Amino acid sequence: MILHPSVLALVGSALLIGALLLYSAYWGARILERWDLSSGSEVQLGLERRTHLVSTLLGYVLVFGIASLFLFVFTADSLAPLFTGAMCAAGSLKASPYGYPVLLLQIGGFSLAGIWLIVNRADSLGHDYPLVRFKYRFLLAITPVLLLEMMLRAAYFLDLKPEVITSCCGSLFGTGGRGVGSDLAGLSPPLAGGAFVILLAGAVAAGLLFRLVGRGGWALGVLSALLLPVGLAAVVSWLSPYVYELPTHHCPFCLLQREYRWIGYPLYGALLAGSLTGTGVGVLMPFRSIPSLAGTLPAYQRRLAGWSVGLLAVLAALVAAIVAGSQLRIS
Amino acid sequence: MIRLQDVRRVFHQGRPDELVAVDDVTLDIADARITVLRGPSGSGKTSLLALVGCMARPTSGRIHVGDREVTSLPEHFLTEVRRLTFGFVFQQFHLVRGLTALENVMLPAYPLGGSRKALVARAQALLDRFGVGARAHARADWLSGGEAQRVAIARALVNDPRVVVADEPTAHLDSKLSAGFMDLVAALRDEGRTVVMASHDAIVYDSPLVDHVVSMRDGRIVRGEP
Repeated sequence: MILHPSVLALVGSALLIGALLLYSAYWGARILERWDLSSGSEVQLGLERRTHLVSTLLGYVLVFGIASLFLFVFTADSLAPLFTGAMCAAGSLKASPYGYPVLLLQIGGFSLAGIWLIVNRADSLGHDYPLVRFKYRFLLAITPVLLLEMMLRAAYFLDLKPEVITSCCGSLFGTGGRGVGSDLAGLSPPLAGGAFVILLAGAVAAGLLFRLVGRGGWALGVLSALLLPVGLAAVVSWLSPYVYELPTHHCPFCLLQREYRWIGYPLYGALLAGSLTGTGVGVLMPFRSIPSLAGTLPAYQRRLAGWSVGLLAVLAALVAAIVAGSQLRIS
Repeated sequence: MIRLQDVRRVFHQGRPDELVAVDDVTLDIADARITVLRGPSGSGKTSLLALVGCMARPTSGRIHVGDREVTSLPEHFLTEVRRLTFGFVFQQFHLVRGLTALENVMLPAYPLGGSRKALVARAQALLDRFGVGARAHARADWLSGGEAQRVAIARALVNDPRVVVADEPTAHLDSKLSAGFMDLVAALRDEGRTVVMASHDAIVYDSPLVDHVVSMRDGRIVRGEP
């Protein structure tokens, strides 16, 4: 294990978040088992108080969990000089077999935790806990994923050794290599870029439509959900060469470095958050007919759609600026 | 109608010093009536009053205010109910020292927003109604006991609540002021408000103006003398 402050923070937070998640999941299971709003029993009133505690606790825990995605990538990038062959986070992640699985689980966990937070917020808009069963079932479903991510994150950092020889991003994300990175890099840039631009435009249009006239929520949800994987693939295949002005360099992590003005942070931040808020609108669509939410949920969804449109507009502006400002031209 | 059903309130539950303050109380409190909870110190009347006024949650049991069940409400909904439905007169009045009488009366209305000019007019009208209009700009710590109590009543009414809850409101008043207080309470009842008071003062619970007396002992409702 490498005793780096960020590593200690991430390992410590993984243990803490894992423990709090287990506690919340335990109470989630109890709530699912014994919840009966028509009862005035001591057990029921205790569960009503407990659900506030669990919601508040998870709110903080999951927000920190979401933020730790960026801290994880930043840390992996910071550790690159310690490994032979590593130039950026790509090499650091390759230095242990747990690295890339953790990253994928973190991205998945980001989305799942974000959706849970959106559902939790929607639940608090109704006076009669309208989504309490859904949100705790969802919590129980995502807890294993989040716990696995935290265990692998701890295992990854514990497994890191400075003398390890690893690969550089040029080979991991080279078009001629093998593996997921090379496969992504090998995608046709016009195809990946075109799909990304079409999805992005569609999500923004759906978001504007929903924000202005309250229609198109399902479309916004689906397009936003698709935008995240397609966007990440397009960054590797199509967008990153514009940043590096090298048609053969596809690394998605060098974007996070100072030489490229840390452009990756706002780019990925806008993509992840814009996609998440748009997906949240779609996830909440089935609940609009619940009487206690009918008056408040549409307004909350419109706010989410507004955030999604704003964040995706920032993403579009960044992408346009990168492509327009680059010396590289891809035909 | 405020309806309490099988309500219990236990402090320090499961510990050696566990205290059952309210024990299995079922009670209907009629609208536009004066109800007094009477009983000796420690009988649970203040705890019950806190439950009725949504200032505390029961350990078990349900409370309905009108047709709305309030014990299950998430806190921000309960705050809204408390703010719009109830006005509170506390035993020690709890006026904020350093603020004027007028500012004290206006305080509970600030979270609701609205025009400050209209709020000042409303607060001044309430102070005038209770005979302390001339003391509107006096600091709370300069008021006499009777004046402080009237300011506290004005403050309880600033959001035009349907229910006024008062805990030992005559504890710091002499007999003449206490009788005057009961006249004010009757006036509130006559304009359609529900008044619920906790008191062990005979001037209050023996008053002919009171519609319903609930006797309590050891957290339970008892028949006759507590």
